[in-house]
Amino acid sequence: MRVTVRHETILAALAGLALALLITPEPARAQIPLGDWRLEGEAALGSRFFIDEPAKSRRSKWEEYRDFPGGPFVPDVQLRIFRKDESYSAEFAGTKWGQTDQEYSLRAGRLGLWEFGFDWDQIPHLYTTNARFLATEVSRGYFALPTPRPALEAHNSAPTIDIRQRWDTARMFFDITPTPDLRLKAEYTRIRKDGDRPFSMSFGGPGNNFYEILEPIEQTIHDFRIGATWARKTWQLQAGYVLSVFQNDLDAVRADNPCFGAPAPAGCGGDATGAPATGRTSLPPNNMAHTMTVNGGVNLPWWRTRLTGNFSYSLQLQNQDFLPHTINPAFSGNPALDLPQKSLHGNVQTILLNLGVVTRPLRDVTLSLKYRLFDYMDLSDEINFPLFVIDDRTLQAGSKAPRKDYQRQNADADVRWQAATSVALTTGVGWERWDRSKSREVPISDELYAKAAVDVTPIEEVLVRLTYRPSFRRISNYDTLAPQRGQSIPEDPAANTRGQSVLLRKYDEAERNRQRVDLMVQVTPTDTLSITPTASYIFDDYLSKPPVDPAGTGRQEFLGVQEAVGWTAGVDLSWSPVERLSITAGYTHDSFYRKMESRSRPVVGGLALDFHDFDWISNITDTVDTLYGGVKYAIIPRVLDWGVSGSWSYALGRIETRNPTAPVSGTAALNLSARAKPVPAFEDELIRLETAVAYHFLKNWTLSFGYVFESFQKHDWRTDKLNPFVPTAGSSIWLGNDLRNYTAHTLGAVIRYSFR
Amino acid sequence: MHTHRGRVTSRRNFVVGAIAGLKAVVIAAVLFAVPSSAPAQKDAAAPGTAAPATPTALPPGYVGADTCNACHEDASQRFSHTRMGRRFLHQPRSQAERLGCESCHGPGQAHVDAGGGSPGKRNLITFGKKDPTPVEQRNEVCLTCHSTGDRVFWANSAHDARNVPCTGCHRVMENVSPRHQLVRPTELETCGTCHVQKRAAQLRSAHMPVREGKMTCTSCHIPHGSLTQALLKENSPNDNCYRCHAEKRGPFLWQHAPVIESCMNCHDPHGSNHERMLTVAKPRLCQQCHVETQHPTSPYGRDSASLKFVLGRACVNCHINIHGSNHPSGFAFTR
Repeated sequence: MRVTVRHETILAALAGLALALLITPEPARAQIPLGDWRLEGEAALGSRFFIDEPAKSRRSKWEEYRDFPGGPFVPDVQLRIFRKDESYSAEFAGTKWGQTDQEYSLRAGRLGLWEFGFDWDQIPHLYTTNARFLATEVSRGYFALPTPRPALEAHNSAPTIDIRQRWDTARMFFDITPTPDLRLKAEYTRIRKDGDRPFSMSFGGPGNNFYEILEPIEQTIHDFRIGATWARKTWQLQAGYVLSVFQNDLDAVRADNPCFGAPAPAGCGGDATGAPATGRTSLPPNNMAHTMTVNGGVNLPWWRTRLTGNFSYSLQLQNQDFLPHTINPAFSGNPALDLPQKSLHGNVQTILLNLGVVTRPLRDVTLSLKYRLFDYMDLSDEINFPLFVIDDRTLQAGSKAPRKDYQRQNADADVRWQAATSVALTTGVGWERWDRSKSREVPISDELYAKAAVDVTPIEEVLVRLTYRPSFRRISNYDTLAPQRGQSIPEDPAANTRGQSVLLRKYDEAERNRQRVDLMVQVTPTDTLSITPTASYIFDDYLSKPPVDPAGTGRQEFLGVQEAVGWTAGVDLSWSPVERLSITAGYTHDSFYRKMESRSRPVVGGLALDFHDFDWISNITDTVDTLYGGVKYAIIPRVLDWGVSGSWSYALGRIETRNPTAPVSGTAALNLSARAKPVPAFEDELIRLETAVAYHFLKNWTLSFGYVFESFQKHDWRTDKLNPFVPTAGSSIWLGNDLRNYTAHTLGAVIRYSFR
Repeated sequence: MHTHRGRVTSRRNFVVGAIAGLKAVVIAAVLFAVPSSAPAQKDAAAPGTAAPATPTALPPGYVGADTCNACHEDASQRFSHTRMGRRFLHQPRSQAERLGCESCHGPGQAHVDAGGGSPGKRNLITFGKKDPTPVEQRNEVCLTCHSTGDRVFWANSAHDARNVPCTGCHRVMENVSPRHQLVRPTELETCGTCHVQKRAAQLRSAHMPVREGKMTCTSCHIPHGSLTQALLKENSPNDNCYRCHAEKRGPFLWQHAPVIESCMNCHDPHGSNHERMLTVAKPRLCQQCHVETQHPTSPYGRDSASLKFVLGRACVNCHINIHGSNHPSGFAFTR
């Protein structure tokens, strides 16, 4: 009798199976015995459905660092095999199997003696899915355009491309503790980067005739580390060596100039005159670094004193052959463009020295002294080039490539007094000195700071941590022309006036008064409830030294950052009112403000015009609000769980620019150029909401259903609807890529089997 | 219309289906029931049961893990699944580890004599939020074994100086996180309990892949203490970044001074609302330090003359090798 399996049959079989499973007695412990060994683990299989999936052109932000395929997927598999006495074990775990962002790890070891590990991690980075690129990559890193060049307008209808790269990281380590006081570790990490990312090639004068292209990424980083630690009860000694090697399979990128040809392509205007056919830009050169480190600590018998010290030496080398000055054949045969030497003989050596002592002269008093020295010495050759070729297009007088050294020293002294069981007071002073080379404006800067901190537990349920830290940075002198002298540019008064404004004080070197306050309160009324409000405030007031008062107003005037204010306030909550319910939530508001002043400085007749009324001020403000939260609830404990989580982040950036005085001193055209232009605000918002219900049955199985909503919205006039060719913006060509808004609704189901 | 022949067929198919379901029960029984009867498993020191008491005599005042287990079976069960639990209960290497629970909590005789409960806890370190034991003393217990590796520079490090207990970040008694015995499922949530702003920064549009699970706080930081500011892993902030971004290390023929001194002069590694995690929008970022003549000095906005300097990636449209250039003509980082 031939049986035809029909729909009813299938349903009946499933019903029978379901009934059988539900009434089957609860199985015993799920580990699988294998003689003296046990096997445990879990595996999951899922499927993803999109109710609303972003279109391809809108996936850039959605899949920026992850892969979200629809259909079946394997979220994770974990296996652990171990001897029943736990002496030996091995674990294997893999997540996101088969996806671009998959990762795996293997661990094996003898508990307390040695451990071997291997990790494999793929990190995708998707920059855009809507770039428009007309050039063809005829060979790796050479982007060619047809000859004759198409009209610039044609770039707007170029094929759409994705721009992405992927990092594949393989890491292997072996860690052994042959004796209780000796630990040895060796580790090797290889990061392989492949893909492309946005890049540029310029062919013309400032802002003109540049072509946004791709940077080919074919790079490898090898990182090899070995280390040893000897540790006894009263002293510890560590030694280590690191070799880091960076390899770039490519040394240059070439691209054809969109504005080359006679007749010039439509849209190029005068930029085509004298334009080179092709440009070539260097890519990061191969380099390597050797670093040797010795650390140690010893406990002394007096006053519970502990000394720590560290010495580290690093040698960074780079000696890749230079490219020629230019790929433009119009300059071939010019002897002034012969390279003085083949390569840099790049040699940077750094020294790090740390010394610290912590001591307890009194039972409730802890004294801490620290000193730190970081010395960066650039011993590479200083090479003099007689001539440069700017953008493969024009010749310019050459200069020396200066080397830039610096040294940073820090010293700190703190005293902490446990005034009472619930009150601790800390006070301290600190010092930071930067000693920069002759190639920077400020030879010596010293920053002194004070610190006052209090940790109070006024009642058992409340902990308050408050820190106030003012600091004052003062400099020896500000020499605007030091970088020019470092490049051996002749002391030409006319040239000097075309250089950096003597009114500028760069914010990383300028004198500064800083006020900083940090507050954290931790409220734990019960063991299961914790509320942590935090707040911080930082105010930087930049000063002018030497004082400048060009307008004779009796008021110091300088250009650069004038002041910066940042403050943040937030709260984090974690609460489990009952065992089966847990709630987390948090909110943060961040505000960053910076006031900068600059001056429009046109050049007329070889001289820079320094009109006071050409000054402009920008107030730059970024505010970010972030909210996150989650609830986990065991509807039926150990049978039915439900969880929901969400996050929201909104950022607003504003640049408000104005002229303190209306520009009137120049020609009409110069005045217009000096006038402040409005800058529309830009904003972005990310919302994510995720909920899932999990049903646990037969102790080992879990079936989950979930829903995820995600939305990204951005308004940024600088990239919204940016076309490769913007006629009013000149002859330059952009990729025209944009992080487009998206909304996604996703459903998923996962079945998981656990045998532990 | 449902015929007699159709009713017979349906009934037969249902029987076939039911038989198939019963077969599944038999298969399930074979797979799941047999292991439960394996005698070896009952004798194994499987998770959830404390190891048999060692024959070594206990020091005075100690009662042994079996005694603790009699009342604290749930806690012991959870602890036995942890790395420390597996070692203490199954592979102790020293007398201290053989003490099991009491190696950390202290001698339990007084607690047992008092019949358990709070009065008898006065000699014990509970490591709970309301434990009256000074934090320093609690931490000393952990540092007895965990003083090497990353903890060599714990003394007066940023967290130690503020009396942060080890149990503020770590949960020893059960597995909450996949690794490192953290109090919350992920490092970001654990560190974010106090560093609320840094946790929020991960949600900004330009960020490193921390919220995607590809990086963690300890990818860059050593919370137990280090010799660099901000508890970084490497000798300097830049060396920290070069570990993954070694292409920026150079040295280059043409160096950009603020780059070699600190990546943080321009970038916020925790996240930013500006592209590439920049601290300030371009071109203003660059105009803070560049007041040479002509195009660096103009107050650009949305007018047509400004567009080529502000659209897309602004200054880096031309000055592409902004981190440094090895090109002979790359002094302005355009090559």
